[in-house]
Amino acid sequence: MTSQPNVTIRGPEVPNTPGSLDPVFTVEDLSVFYGDYEAVRNVDMLIGRREITAMIGPSGCGKSTVLRCFNRMNDLIPGAHIKGKILYHDENLYGDHVDPIEVRRRIGMVFQKPNPFPKAIYDNVAYGPRVNGIKRNMDDLVEEALTKAALWDEVKDKLKQNALSLSGGQQQRLCIARAIAVKPEVILMDEPCSALDPIATTKIEDLMQELRQEYTILIVTHNMQQAARVSDRTAFFTADVDSAGVRHGRLVEFDQTTRIFTKPSDKRTEDYITGRFG
Amino acid sequence: MSAPVRAAAPGSPKSLARSRPRYGEQLIKAILLISALVSIATTVGIIVALVEPTIEFFSEVSFGEFFGSTTWGPLFSPPAFGVWPIIVATLEITLIAILVAVPLGLAAAIFLSEYATPRVRKIFKPVLEVLAGVPTVVFGFFALTFVTPVLKDWFPFLGLEAKNALSAGLLVGVMIIPIVASLSEDAMAAVPNGLREGSYALGASKMLTSVRVVVPAAFSGIVAAVILAISRAAGETMIVAIAGGFKSVFTLNPADEMATMAAFIAQAGSGDASVGSIPYKTIFAVGSLLFIMTFFMNYVSARLVQKYREVYE
Ligand SMILES: Nc1ncnc2c1ncn2[C@@H]1O[C@H](COP(=O)(O)OP(=O)(O)O)[C@@H](O)[C@H]1O
Ligand SMILES: [Mg+2]
Repeated sequence: MTSQPNVTIRGPEVPNTPGSLDPVFTVEDLSVFYGDYEAVRNVDMLIGRREITAMIGPSGCGKSTVLRCFNRMNDLIPGAHIKGKILYHDENLYGDHVDPIEVRRRIGMVFQKPNPFPKAIYDNVAYGPRVNGIKRNMDDLVEEALTKAALWDEVKDKLKQNALSLSGGQQQRLCIARAIAVKPEVILMDEPCSALDPIATTKIEDLMQELRQEYTILIVTHNMQQAARVSDRTAFFTADVDSAGVRHGRLVEFDQTTRIFTKPSDKRTEDYITGRFG
Repeated sequence: MSAPVRAAAPGSPKSLARSRPRYGEQLIKAILLISALVSIATTVGIIVALVEPTIEFFSEVSFGEFFGSTTWGPLFSPPAFGVWPIIVATLEITLIAILVAVPLGLAAAIFLSEYATPRVRKIFKPVLEVLAGVPTVVFGFFALTFVTPVLKDWFPFLGLEAKNALSAGLLVGVMIIPIVASLSEDAMAAVPNGLREGSYALGASKMLTSVRVVVPAAFSGIVAAVILAISRAAGETMIVAIAGGFKSVFTLNPADEMATMAAFIAQAGSGDASVGSIPYKTIFAVGSLLFIMTFFMNYVSARLVQKYREVYE
């Protein structure tokens, strides 16, 4: 067995257990609202530095909602707000002084559907550095980001071509390169492979293993095998219906991936990973 | 053993052939076809109606005089047929109008599509459409009786004449703002939201996202809006007739009175030019030229759009 600490957080009453986990994010009693609707309630999590944390669970249980709190993407949705706290290192991510734009520069994001800009491949990668006023040699920066995203060899001869001429898998790796180019600390991925074929999916998974040397990664996936393959820790979400008949997402179990998949401590986790979930 | 292939036998499932003719479908198709033909026929009709008098015109006035001289006065005696003064006036007023309408119209479109809440948008869009519905004669008198005096007051050094290209151009610009704004807004609203999210997620502000992602992605729609606006501006008659005047002097100074091609057509057409006379044929020659100019602008812009557009599908 490895010497990683056993972090099991089952609810707000259980204290965070840092151990040797070096937290980039500390989520404390987080609830997320769309207007009056409480989509997710009472989430506690620790996101370890240079680890891959997977978020799994049935559709509609609030995985994307929680993920989008980490780079304050939900701020763009009118009426969306949170209760509770997310600490980024020691800083309150939702503190009054915090600039969401600065947050998004440090915490990159890759989306479910590849969304390259309808521009040249080169300009896609250079976009982030340009809007952030980074004044480095842009050619080097673009090459570096594309190399890290394992795409350089495939596109180095056609950097001026429109990004939409690439295949879906290449487009998604381009989106990863685009995120890397602004040198974030964390990369959030919302079902990055769900629109891709198995070969392209394998490439992205291999790439994630490379990237974890340098980046902290949070990935939402509906594919349990993927979570088992790539992640260090797994958070299992589900949705409960309250007495008024309203569905709220919540975190059931959060632990090392090996434990979630071999010795889950919650019956619902076990049912879900063995495919017996309603 | 294989069963013989037979036509639908009694008791077997019904044949897949159409059981009864669908007349409704045929009728709708015919109506749609006729509607399409009406607009094509109108266009062809206009061209035919323009061509004959135009050819007759050029049998009496040489190409050399029409395009080679800068004195315009077909209604004077002796008449003069150098068309450049009214071409220049048309282009100049169109240019002023576009300089007004493109920045303001685009800004309005960006505001409506990217910044406004659904509530604000619901109030603003109808207001824009009301502006589009204001009769141009109102804009014309507003230019003549309000804008020109105010400009004279504030900028006496411009030396504005009572009728001038500047006021006329400004109000033609205001008139076409709704075209630019409304069509550009449609094009921007059609840009997939995923592109905006991609930009925000890289730390771009709303303004940068609008200018560097949304506008380029909506470029072909925006150019189409501007082309339509240019065509409307070049053909606008009432405002330029009222506020721009009818004097055809070869001048570039927007402070001067100048007649555009459309203004000339209105003036000559409302006069007593008898059918078959030279002033009458001149109307058609100028009309043909305006038609060709507009067509040419549309063509060039369409080619530009082909070349520079960002396809996002
Ligand atoms: N923009 C939104 N406005 C209102 N409700 C939303 C919005 N996005 C998601 N929801 C709701 O929040 C809940 C969680 O959604 P989501 O986070 O997308 O789930 P998941 O990613 O786990 O499938 C769902 O009930 C969904 O309908
Ligand atoms: Mg989701």
